[in-house]
Amino acid sequence: MSLPDTAAGRPLYGQFPTALRFSVREQSRNRLAALLLGLFVPAWYLLMTSIAGDKGLDFKLYATGETLRVDGRHVTLITAGMNSLTMISGFVVFDAVRKALNFDRRLAFAGFRETTLIGAKLLAITIVTTSIALYTALALLIYWRPGFTGWGTVLLGFMAMTLTYGALGLLLGVLVKNDLEGFFLIIMGGLTDTFLQNPLGNPAANKPALQYFPSFGPMQFSVGGSLADTVMWRYLGIGCAWAAGFALVGLVVFHFRTRSRRPTR
Amino acid sequence: MTPRPQPALSARDIHKAFGRHRVLRGADLTVEPGQLVAVVGENGSGKSTLLKAIAGTLPVDRGEVALGGELGYCPQDPVLNSNLTVDQHLQYFAAAHRLSDLKRADELVDLLGFDKYRSTAAGDLSGGTRQKLNLTLALLHDPDVLLLDEPYQGFDWETYLRFWTLVEDLHRRDKAIVVITHLVFEQERFDLLADLVDGRLTPRSSQEKEVSHVPA
Ligand SMILES: Nc1ncnc2c1ncn2[C@@H]1O[C@H](COP(=O)(O)OP(=O)(O)O)[C@@H](O)[C@H]1O
Ligand SMILES: [Mg+2]
Repeated sequence: MSLPDTAAGRPLYGQFPTALRFSVREQSRNRLAALLLGLFVPAWYLLMTSIAGDKGLDFKLYATGETLRVDGRHVTLITAGMNSLTMISGFVVFDAVRKALNFDRRLAFAGFRETTLIGAKLLAITIVTTSIALYTALALLIYWRPGFTGWGTVLLGFMAMTLTYGALGLLLGVLVKNDLEGFFLIIMGGLTDTFLQNPLGNPAANKPALQYFPSFGPMQFSVGGSLADTVMWRYLGIGCAWAAGFALVGLVVFHFRTRSRRPTR
Repeated sequence: MTPRPQPALSARDIHKAFGRHRVLRGADLTVEPGQLVAVVGENGSGKSTLLKAIAGTLPVDRGEVALGGELGYCPQDPVLNSNLTVDQHLQYFAAAHRLSDLKRADELVDLLGFDKYRSTAAGDLSGGTRQKLNLTLALLHDPDVLLLDEPYQGFDWETYLRFWTLVEDLHRRDKAIVVITHLVFEQERFDLLADLVDGRLTPRSSQEKEVSHVPA
Protein backbone atom coordinates (compact mmCIF):
# COMPACT_ATOMS: atom_id res chain seq x y z
CA MET A 1 0.00 0.00 0.00
CA SER A 2 1.33 3.46 -0.83
CA LEU A 3 1.92 5.94 1.90
CA PRO A 4 -0.21 9.07 2.09
CA ASP A 5 1.39 12.48 1.59
CA THR A 6 0.89 13.25 5.26
CA ALA A 7 3.34 10.49 6.08
CA ALA A 8 6.24 12.62 4.91
CA GLY A 9 8.73 13.14 7.68
CA ARG A 10 9.60 11.01 10.63
CA PRO A 11 6.76 9.03 12.17
CA LEU A 12 5.86 10.45 15.58
CA TYR A 13 5.26 7.03 17.10
CA GLY A 14 7.29 3.95 16.23
CA GLN A 15 5.11 0.92 15.54
CA PHE A 16 6.92 -1.57 17.72
CA PRO A 17 7.23 0.47 20.93
CA THR A 18 3.64 1.71 20.56
CA ALA A 19 2.22 -1.76 20.05
CA LEU A 20 4.30 -3.16 22.93
CA ARG A 21 3.25 -0.41 25.35
CA PHE A 22 -0.45 -0.76 24.59
CA SER A 23 -0.42 -4.57 24.46
CA VAL A 24 1.09 -4.73 27.93
CA ARG A 25 -1.49 -2.23 29.08
CA GLU A 26 -4.47 -4.09 27.66
CA GLN A 27 -3.28 -7.35 29.22
CA SER A 28 -2.50 -5.92 32.62
CA ARG A 29 -5.74 -4.02 33.08
CA ASN A 30 -7.62 -7.17 34.02
CA ARG A 31 -9.01 -6.49 37.52
CA LEU A 32 -10.36 -9.96 38.08
CA ALA A 33 -6.96 -11.47 37.31
CA ALA A 34 -5.30 -9.07 39.75
CA LEU A 35 -7.78 -10.08 42.42
CA LEU A 36 -7.16 -13.75 41.71
CA LEU A 37 -3.42 -13.21 42.03
CA GLY A 38 -3.74 -11.33 45.31
CA LEU A 39 -6.26 -13.55 47.05
CA PHE A 40 -6.70 -16.80 45.22
CA VAL A 41 -3.06 -17.79 44.83
CA PRO A 42 -2.08 -17.71 48.55
CA ALA A 43 -5.42 -19.23 49.57
CA TRP A 44 -5.09 -21.98 46.99
CA TYR A 45 -1.61 -22.88 48.26
CA LEU A 46 -2.95 -23.04 51.81
CA LEU A 47 -5.96 -25.12 50.87
CA MET A 48 -4.01 -27.57 48.77
CA THR A 49 -1.28 -28.14 51.37
CA SER A 50 -3.85 -28.77 54.06
CA ILE A 51 -5.52 -31.33 51.83
CA ALA A 52 -2.17 -32.97 51.08
CA GLY A 53 -1.26 -33.33 54.77
CA ASP A 54 2.07 -34.93 55.69
CA LYS A 55 1.76 -37.99 53.52
CA GLY A 56 4.77 -39.20 51.56
CA LEU A 57 4.19 -39.71 47.85
CA ASP A 58 5.97 -41.59 45.06
CA PHE A 59 6.87 -39.37 42.13
CA LYS A 60 8.47 -40.81 39.03
CA LEU A 61 11.32 -38.80 37.49
CA TYR A 62 11.52 -39.75 33.84
CA ALA A 63 14.98 -38.35 33.21
CA THR A 64 16.62 -40.72 35.65
CA GLY A 65 13.96 -43.41 35.72
CA GLU A 66 13.99 -43.34 39.51
CA THR A 67 10.90 -43.04 41.67
CA LEU A 68 11.29 -40.40 44.37
CA ARG A 69 9.81 -40.66 47.82
CA VAL A 70 8.78 -37.04 48.42
CA ASP A 71 6.80 -34.94 50.88
CA GLY A 72 3.28 -34.76 49.44
CA ARG A 73 2.94 -31.13 50.55
CA HIS A 74 5.83 -30.04 48.37
CA VAL A 75 4.68 -31.74 45.19
CA THR A 76 1.21 -30.40 45.86
CA LEU A 77 2.49 -26.84 46.28
CA ILE A 78 4.17 -27.06 42.90
CA THR A 79 0.97 -28.46 41.38
CA ALA A 80 -1.11 -25.76 43.05
CA GLY A 81 1.17 -23.03 41.72
CA MET A 82 1.11 -24.40 38.19
CA ASN A 83 -2.60 -24.83 38.41
CA SER A 84 -3.17 -21.16 39.37
CA LEU A 85 -0.86 -20.11 36.57
CA THR A 86 -2.70 -22.05 33.92
CA MET A 87 -5.94 -20.36 34.87
CA ILE A 88 -4.70 -16.83 35.44
CA SER A 89 -2.28 -16.57 32.49
CA GLY A 90 -4.66 -18.35 30.16
CA PHE A 91 -7.52 -16.11 31.22
CA VAL A 92 -5.55 -12.84 31.02
CA VAL A 93 -4.23 -13.48 27.54
CA PHE A 94 -7.43 -15.03 26.20
CA ASP A 95 -9.53 -12.12 27.41
CA ALA A 96 -7.18 -9.44 26.09
CA VAL A 97 -6.57 -11.08 22.71
CA ARG A 98 -10.22 -11.85 22.10
CA LYS A 99 -11.41 -8.38 23.01
CA ALA A 100 -8.75 -6.71 20.89
CA LEU A 101 -9.05 -8.92 17.82
CA ASN A 102 -11.33 -6.64 15.78
CA PHE A 103 -9.34 -3.64 16.89
CA ASP A 104 -6.06 -5.27 15.87
CA ARG A 105 -7.58 -6.04 12.52
CA ARG A 106 -8.52 -2.40 12.14
CA LEU A 107 -4.93 -1.46 12.97
CA ALA A 108 -3.58 -3.91 10.41
CA PHE A 109 -5.93 -2.45 7.79
CA ALA A 110 -4.73 1.02 8.70
CA GLY A 111 -1.19 0.01 7.78
CA PHE A 112 0.22 -1.47 10.98
CA ARG A 113 2.80 -4.06 9.97
CA GLU A 114 1.40 -7.38 11.02
CA THR A 115 4.74 -8.90 11.96
CA THR A 116 5.41 -5.88 14.18
CA LEU A 117 2.03 -6.17 15.82
CA ILE A 118 2.48 -9.90 16.37
CA GLY A 119 6.02 -9.52 17.70
CA ALA A 120 4.92 -6.83 20.14
CA LYS A 121 1.96 -8.91 21.25
CA LEU A 122 4.17 -11.92 21.91
CA LEU A 123 6.66 -9.88 23.88
CA ALA A 124 3.83 -8.34 25.88
CA ILE A 125 2.42 -11.80 26.63
CA THR A 126 5.87 -12.90 27.75
CA ILE A 127 6.31 -9.89 30.02
CA VAL A 128 2.87 -10.14 31.60
CA THR A 129 2.81 -13.91 32.07
CA THR A 130 6.35 -14.17 33.43
CA SER A 131 5.48 -11.46 35.96
CA ILE A 132 2.54 -13.65 36.98
CA ALA A 133 4.89 -16.64 37.28
CA LEU A 134 7.39 -14.64 39.34
CA TYR A 135 4.67 -13.53 41.73
CA THR A 136 3.32 -17.06 42.06
CA ALA A 137 6.80 -18.44 42.77
CA LEU A 138 7.40 -15.73 45.38
CA ALA A 139 4.09 -16.50 47.08
CA LEU A 140 5.20 -20.13 47.32
CA LEU A 141 7.97 -19.04 49.70
CA ILE A 142 5.34 -18.32 52.36
CA TYR A 143 4.78 -22.06 52.67
CA TRP A 144 8.04 -23.64 51.63
CA ARG A 145 11.70 -22.61 51.28
CA PRO A 146 13.19 -25.11 48.82
CA GLY A 147 16.66 -23.47 48.67
CA PHE A 148 18.01 -21.30 45.88
CA THR A 149 18.43 -23.89 43.10
CA GLY A 150 15.21 -25.56 44.13
CA TRP A 151 13.28 -22.30 44.00
CA GLY A 152 15.00 -21.33 40.76
CA THR A 153 13.84 -24.52 39.04
CA VAL A 154 10.33 -24.03 40.40
CA LEU A 155 10.35 -20.50 38.99
CA LEU A 156 11.59 -21.66 35.58
CA GLY A 157 9.04 -24.48 35.53
CA PHE A 158 6.35 -21.91 36.39
CA MET A 159 7.56 -19.68 33.57
CA ALA A 160 7.37 -22.48 31.01
CA MET A 161 3.90 -23.25 32.29
CA THR A 162 2.69 -19.67 32.25
CA LEU A 163 4.01 -19.20 28.69
CA THR A 164 2.29 -22.39 27.59
CA TYR A 165 -1.07 -21.30 28.91
CA GLY A 166 -0.52 -17.71 27.81
CA ALA A 167 0.05 -19.08 24.31
CA LEU A 168 -3.01 -21.32 24.64
CA GLY A 169 -4.96 -18.20 25.66
CA LEU A 170 -3.72 -16.52 22.49
CA LEU A 171 -4.78 -19.49 20.37
CA LEU A 172 -8.23 -19.71 21.93
CA GLY A 173 -8.56 -15.92 21.81
CA VAL A 174 -8.28 -15.88 18.02
CA LEU A 175 -10.22 -19.11 17.53
CA VAL A 176 -13.13 -19.26 19.95
CA LYS A 177 -16.30 -17.24 19.35
CA ASN A 178 -17.60 -16.69 22.88
CA ASP A 179 -16.14 -16.05 26.31
CA LEU A 180 -17.58 -19.03 28.13
CA GLU A 181 -16.20 -21.59 25.72
CA GLY A 182 -12.73 -20.14 26.10
CA PHE A 183 -12.83 -19.87 29.90
CA PHE A 184 -14.20 -23.37 30.20
CA LEU A 185 -11.52 -24.85 27.97
CA ILE A 186 -8.74 -23.04 29.83
CA ILE A 187 -9.99 -23.93 33.30
CA MET A 188 -10.82 -27.56 32.58
CA GLY A 189 -7.69 -28.01 30.50
CA GLY A 190 -5.47 -26.48 33.16
CA LEU A 191 -7.03 -28.42 36.02
CA THR A 192 -6.88 -31.75 34.23
CA ASP A 193 -3.38 -31.17 32.97
CA THR A 194 -1.84 -30.16 36.30
CA PHE A 195 -3.70 -32.52 38.61
CA LEU A 196 -2.97 -35.56 36.51
CA GLN A 197 0.73 -34.98 37.17
CA ASN A 198 0.26 -35.14 40.93
CA PRO A 199 0.26 -38.61 42.55
CA LEU A 200 -1.83 -37.21 45.42
CA GLY A 201 -4.98 -36.60 43.43
CA ASN A 202 -4.39 -39.20 40.81
CA PRO A 203 -3.31 -42.81 41.19
CA ALA A 204 -2.52 -42.79 37.46
CA ALA A 205 0.22 -40.19 37.92
CA ASN A 206 3.62 -41.54 36.95
CA LYS A 207 2.02 -43.34 33.99
CA PRO A 208 3.76 -42.81 30.62
CA ALA A 209 0.62 -41.31 29.00
CA LEU A 210 1.18 -38.19 31.09
CA GLN A 211 4.17 -37.33 28.95
CA TYR A 212 1.77 -36.05 26.33
CA PHE A 213 0.34 -33.29 28.52
CA PRO A 214 1.71 -29.72 28.48
CA SER A 215 2.55 -29.59 32.18
CA PHE A 216 4.59 -32.80 32.08
CA GLY A 217 7.92 -31.15 31.21
CA PRO A 218 7.71 -28.20 33.63
CA MET A 219 6.47 -30.45 36.45
CA GLN A 220 9.33 -32.92 35.96
CA PHE A 221 11.80 -30.06 35.77
CA SER A 222 10.55 -28.31 38.91
CA VAL A 223 10.22 -31.48 41.00
CA GLY A 224 13.60 -32.78 39.86
CA GLY A 225 15.29 -29.49 40.72
CA SER A 226 13.60 -28.81 44.02
CA LEU A 227 13.19 -32.32 45.45
CA ALA A 228 15.96 -34.41 43.84
CA ASP A 229 18.73 -31.90 43.10
CA THR A 230 18.70 -32.86 39.42
CA VAL A 231 18.33 -30.04 36.94
CA MET A 232 16.90 -31.56 33.75
CA TRP A 233 16.98 -28.82 31.12
CA ARG A 234 15.52 -31.08 28.46
CA TYR A 235 12.26 -31.19 30.39
CA LEU A 236 12.11 -27.42 30.61
CA GLY A 237 12.61 -27.52 26.85
CA ILE A 238 9.60 -29.78 26.42
CA GLY A 239 7.50 -27.21 28.26
CA CYS A 240 8.81 -24.39 26.08
CA ALA A 241 8.07 -26.45 22.96
CA TRP A 242 4.41 -26.64 23.98
CA ALA A 243 4.37 -22.87 24.45
CA ALA A 244 5.99 -22.33 21.05
CA GLY A 245 3.57 -24.76 19.41
CA PHE A 246 0.46 -23.05 20.78
CA ALA A 247 1.87 -19.62 19.95
CA LEU A 248 2.70 -20.61 16.39
CA VAL A 249 -0.75 -22.00 15.63
CA GLY A 250 -2.31 -18.99 17.34
CA LEU A 251 -0.30 -16.57 15.22
CA VAL A 252 -1.18 -18.34 12.00
CA VAL A 253 -4.87 -18.06 12.88
CA PHE A 254 -4.32 -14.43 13.93
CA HIS A 255 -2.80 -13.72 10.53
CA PHE A 256 -5.79 -15.19 8.71
CA ARG A 257 -8.27 -13.37 10.90
CA THR A 258 -6.65 -9.97 10.38
CA ARG A 259 -5.78 -10.00 6.68
CA SER A 260 -7.63 -7.98 4.06
CA ARG A 261 -10.33 -9.76 2.08
CA ARG A 262 -10.80 -7.10 -0.56
CA PRO A 263 -11.32 -8.74 -3.96
CA THR A 264 -8.91 -6.96 -6.28
CA ARG A 265 -7.81 -7.81 -9.74
CA MET B 1 -8.71 19.78 -9.67
CA THR B 2 -6.39 17.13 -11.05
CA PRO B 3 -8.22 14.84 -13.46
CA ARG B 4 -7.61 11.18 -12.71
CA PRO B 5 -7.59 8.36 -15.21
CA GLN B 6 -9.48 6.03 -12.88
CA PRO B 7 -12.35 6.51 -10.44
CA ALA B 8 -11.58 6.82 -6.73
CA LEU B 9 -13.66 3.76 -6.05
CA SER B 10 -15.03 1.11 -8.31
CA ALA B 11 -16.92 -1.93 -7.05
CA ARG B 12 -18.17 -4.34 -9.68
CA ASP B 13 -20.74 -7.09 -9.47
CA ILE B 14 -20.44 -7.71 -5.74
CA HIS B 15 -22.17 -10.87 -4.55
CA LYS B 16 -22.44 -11.94 -0.94
CA ALA B 17 -24.67 -14.52 0.70
CA PHE B 18 -24.92 -15.58 4.34
CA GLY B 19 -25.92 -19.20 4.02
CA ARG B 20 -29.01 -19.16 1.81
CA HIS B 21 -29.66 -15.49 2.40
CA ARG B 22 -28.36 -13.68 -0.69
CA VAL B 23 -27.74 -10.18 0.57
CA LEU B 24 -25.77 -8.65 -2.31
CA ARG B 25 -26.63 -9.79 -5.82
CA GLY B 26 -24.41 -7.93 -8.23
CA ALA B 27 -24.06 -4.53 -6.61
CA ASP B 28 -22.07 -1.94 -8.59
CA LEU B 29 -20.76 1.35 -7.27
CA THR B 30 -18.46 3.88 -8.90
CA VAL B 31 -17.38 7.05 -7.15
CA GLU B 32 -15.23 9.79 -8.66
CA PRO B 33 -12.91 12.05 -6.69
CA GLY B 34 -14.90 14.95 -5.30
CA GLN B 35 -18.16 13.04 -5.39
CA LEU B 36 -20.40 12.67 -2.34
CA VAL B 37 -22.65 9.63 -2.58
CA ALA B 38 -25.41 8.44 -0.27
CA VAL B 39 -26.30 4.77 -0.05
CA VAL B 40 -29.83 4.35 1.21
CA GLY B 41 -31.96 1.29 1.84
CA GLU B 42 -34.16 -0.44 4.37
CA ASN B 43 -32.79 -2.00 7.53
CA GLY B 44 -31.14 -5.25 6.65
CA SER B 45 -30.93 -4.48 2.93
CA GLY B 46 -27.16 -5.04 3.00
CA LYS B 47 -25.71 -1.52 3.20
CA SER B 48 -23.19 -2.40 5.89
CA THR B 49 -22.36 -5.64 4.14
CA LEU B 50 -21.55 -3.69 0.97
CA LEU B 51 -19.21 -1.31 2.79
CA LYS B 52 -17.48 -4.17 4.61
CA ALA B 53 -16.94 -5.90 1.29
CA ILE B 54 -15.42 -2.76 -0.23
CA ALA B 55 -13.27 -2.12 2.84
CA GLY B 56 -12.09 -5.72 2.74
CA THR B 57 -13.19 -6.77 6.22
CA LEU B 58 -15.62 -9.32 4.78
CA PRO B 59 -14.83 -11.82 2.01
CA VAL B 60 -17.24 -11.70 -0.92
CA ASP B 61 -18.50 -14.57 -3.05
CA ARG B 62 -17.90 -12.77 -6.32
CA GLY B 63 -16.94 -9.31 -7.55
CA GLU B 64 -14.10 -6.87 -7.79
CA VAL B 65 -13.07 -3.72 -5.97
CA ALA B 66 -10.52 -1.14 -7.10
CA LEU B 67 -9.47 1.89 -5.08
CA GLY B 68 -7.75 4.98 -6.48
CA GLY B 69 -6.24 6.14 -3.19
CA GLU B 70 -5.96 5.71 0.54
CA LEU B 71 -9.09 4.36 2.18
CA GLY B 72 -10.76 5.53 5.37
CA TYR B 73 -13.51 3.23 6.64
CA CYS B 74 -15.79 4.06 9.54
CA PRO B 75 -17.65 0.88 10.53
CA GLN B 76 -21.23 1.05 11.83
CA ASP B 77 -20.33 -0.53 15.18
CA PRO B 78 -17.34 1.32 16.64
CA VAL B 79 -14.21 -0.83 16.57
CA LEU B 80 -12.24 0.38 19.59
CA ASN B 81 -10.11 -1.05 22.37
CA SER B 82 -11.98 -0.56 25.64
CA ASN B 83 -8.77 -0.67 27.69
CA LEU B 84 -7.13 2.23 25.85
CA THR B 85 -7.88 5.92 26.25
CA VAL B 86 -8.87 8.27 23.43
CA ASP B 87 -5.32 9.65 23.23
CA GLN B 88 -3.85 6.17 23.14
CA HIS B 89 -6.15 5.29 20.24
CA LEU B 90 -4.91 8.34 18.36
CA GLN B 91 -1.28 7.42 19.03
CA TYR B 92 -1.86 3.82 17.98
CA PHE B 93 -3.38 4.86 14.66
CA ALA B 94 -0.78 7.58 14.13
CA ALA B 95 1.78 4.77 14.41
CA ALA B 96 -0.24 2.61 11.99
CA HIS B 97 -0.34 5.37 9.38
CA ARG B 98 3.22 6.50 10.16
CA LEU B 99 2.03 10.07 10.70
CA SER B 100 4.64 12.63 11.60
CA ASP B 101 2.31 14.65 13.82
CA LEU B 102 -1.13 14.57 15.44
CA LYS B 103 -2.34 17.87 13.94
CA ARG B 104 -5.24 16.33 12.06
CA ALA B 105 -6.21 14.26 15.10
CA ASP B 106 -6.32 17.38 17.28
CA GLU B 107 -8.42 19.18 14.68
CA LEU B 108 -10.93 16.35 14.50
CA VAL B 109 -11.17 15.99 18.27
CA ASP B 110 -11.78 19.72 18.61
CA LEU B 111 -14.29 19.83 15.78
CA LEU B 112 -16.32 16.90 17.08
CA GLY B 113 -16.01 18.29 20.61
CA PHE B 114 -14.67 15.42 22.69
CA ASP B 115 -11.48 17.02 23.87
CA LYS B 116 -12.35 16.53 27.53
CA TYR B 117 -12.45 12.75 27.16
CA ARG B 118 -8.91 12.42 25.84
CA SER B 119 -7.71 10.49 28.88
CA THR B 120 -10.86 8.42 29.32
CA ALA B 121 -10.72 4.72 28.45
CA ALA B 122 -12.89 3.89 25.44
CA GLY B 123 -14.80 1.38 27.57
CA ASP B 124 -16.04 4.23 29.76
CA LEU B 125 -17.20 6.53 26.95
CA SER B 126 -20.85 7.15 26.08
CA GLY B 127 -22.19 5.78 22.80
CA GLY B 128 -22.03 9.13 21.03
CA THR B 129 -18.44 9.77 22.10
CA ARG B 130 -17.40 6.27 21.08
CA GLN B 131 -18.82 7.06 17.66
CA LYS B 132 -16.87 10.33 17.51
CA LEU B 133 -13.67 8.42 18.19
CA ASN B 134 -14.66 5.74 15.68
CA LEU B 135 -15.09 8.44 13.01
CA THR B 136 -11.89 10.24 14.00
CA LEU B 137 -9.87 7.05 13.53
CA ALA B 138 -11.23 6.70 10.00
CA LEU B 139 -10.24 10.26 9.08
CA LEU B 140 -6.92 10.54 10.91
CA HIS B 141 -4.72 10.06 7.84
CA ASP B 142 -6.80 12.34 5.60
CA PRO B 143 -7.74 9.52 3.17
CA ASP B 144 -8.86 10.04 -0.44
CA VAL B 145 -11.76 7.59 -0.34
CA LEU B 146 -14.17 7.55 2.58
CA LEU B 147 -16.71 4.89 3.51
CA LEU B 148 -18.89 6.10 6.38
CA ASP B 149 -21.48 3.69 7.75
CA GLU B 150 -24.18 5.71 9.56
CA PRO B 151 -21.44 7.96 10.90
CA TYR B 152 -23.57 10.26 13.06
CA GLN B 153 -25.41 7.69 15.17
CA GLY B 154 -25.78 8.99 18.70
CA PHE B 155 -24.61 12.52 17.81
CA ASP B 156 -26.45 15.43 19.35
CA TRP B 157 -27.76 18.13 17.01
CA GLU B 158 -24.73 20.37 17.49
CA THR B 159 -22.29 17.56 16.65
CA TYR B 160 -24.47 16.48 13.76
CA LEU B 161 -24.14 19.94 12.21
CA ARG B 162 -20.40 19.96 12.82
CA PHE B 163 -20.21 16.58 11.14
CA TRP B 164 -21.68 18.09 8.01
CA THR B 165 -19.24 20.99 8.17
CA LEU B 166 -16.51 18.38 8.22
CA VAL B 167 -17.96 16.46 5.28
CA GLU B 168 -18.39 19.67 3.27
CA ASP B 169 -14.73 20.46 3.83
CA LEU B 170 -13.71 16.97 2.66
CA HIS B 171 -16.01 17.31 -0.31
CA ARG B 172 -14.41 20.62 -1.26
CA ARG B 173 -11.00 19.01 -1.01
CA ASP B 174 -11.94 16.48 -3.67
CA LYS B 175 -12.34 13.41 -1.53
CA ALA B 176 -14.59 10.60 -2.71
CA ILE B 177 -17.17 10.03 0.01
CA VAL B 178 -19.78 7.32 0.49
CA VAL B 179 -22.21 7.81 3.37
CA ILE B 180 -24.79 5.28 4.48
CA THR B 181 -27.81 7.15 5.68
CA HIS B 182 -31.52 6.81 5.98
CA LEU B 183 -32.47 10.36 6.64
CA VAL B 184 -34.51 11.51 3.69
CA PHE B 185 -34.29 15.24 4.39
CA GLU B 186 -30.55 15.17 3.74
CA GLN B 187 -31.02 14.34 0.08
CA GLU B 188 -29.93 17.70 -1.27
CA ARG B 189 -26.52 17.43 0.37
CA PHE B 190 -25.45 14.60 -1.94
CA ASP B 191 -24.28 14.51 -5.54
CA LEU B 192 -25.82 11.09 -5.95
CA LEU B 193 -28.22 8.86 -4.09
CA ALA B 194 -28.02 5.12 -4.62
CA ASP B 195 -30.83 2.85 -3.46
CA LEU B 196 -29.89 -0.60 -2.31
CA VAL B 197 -32.82 -2.81 -3.25
CA ASP B 198 -32.76 -6.57 -3.76
CA GLY B 199 -28.99 -6.65 -3.44
CA ARG B 200 -28.35 -4.12 -6.20
CA LEU B 201 -27.68 -0.39 -6.26
CA THR B 202 -29.87 1.86 -8.35
CA PRO B 203 -28.82 5.50 -8.77
CA ARG B 204 -31.43 8.16 -8.06
CA SER B 205 -29.82 11.22 -9.63
CA SER B 206 -30.52 14.38 -7.71
CA GLN B 207 -32.51 17.01 -9.54
CA GLU B 208 -30.69 20.01 -10.90
CA LYS B 209 -27.16 19.05 -9.82
CA GLU B 210 -24.64 18.22 -12.51
CA VAL B 211 -25.36 14.61 -13.30
CA SER B 212 -22.56 12.63 -11.78
CA HIS B 213 -21.02 9.43 -12.91
CA VAL B 214 -23.66 6.75 -13.08
CA PRO B 215 -22.69 3.27 -11.98
CA ALA B 216 -22.41 1.01 -14.99
N1 LIG C 1 -22.24 -12.14 9.71
C1 LIG C 1 -23.49 -12.35 9.30
N2 LIG C 1 -24.03 -13.59 9.34
C2 LIG C 1 -25.29 -13.81 8.89
N3 LIG C 1 -26.10 -12.87 8.43
C3 LIG C 1 -25.63 -11.61 8.36
C4 LIG C 1 -24.32 -11.28 8.81
N4 LIG C 1 -24.12 -9.95 8.64
C5 LIG C 1 -25.28 -9.49 8.11
N5 LIG C 1 -26.18 -10.45 7.96
C6 LIG C 1 -27.54 -10.30 7.39
O1 LIG C 1 -27.42 -9.64 6.16
C7 LIG C 1 -28.47 -8.70 6.00
C8 LIG C 1 -27.87 -7.33 5.72
O2 LIG C 1 -27.21 -6.84 6.87
P1 LIG C 1 -26.56 -5.40 6.90
O3 LIG C 1 -25.63 -5.26 5.76
O4 LIG C 1 -26.00 -5.19 8.25
O5 LIG C 1 -27.84 -4.47 6.69
P2 LIG C 1 -27.98 -2.89 6.76
O6 LIG C 1 -28.47 -2.48 5.41
O7 LIG C 1 -29.03 -2.61 7.79
O8 LIG C 1 -26.67 -2.31 7.11
C9 LIG C 1 -29.29 -8.76 7.26
O9 LIG C 1 -30.41 -9.56 7.01
C10 LIG C 1 -28.39 -9.42 8.26
O10 LIG C 1 -29.15 -10.16 9.16
MG1 LIG D 1 -25.98 -1.31 8.71
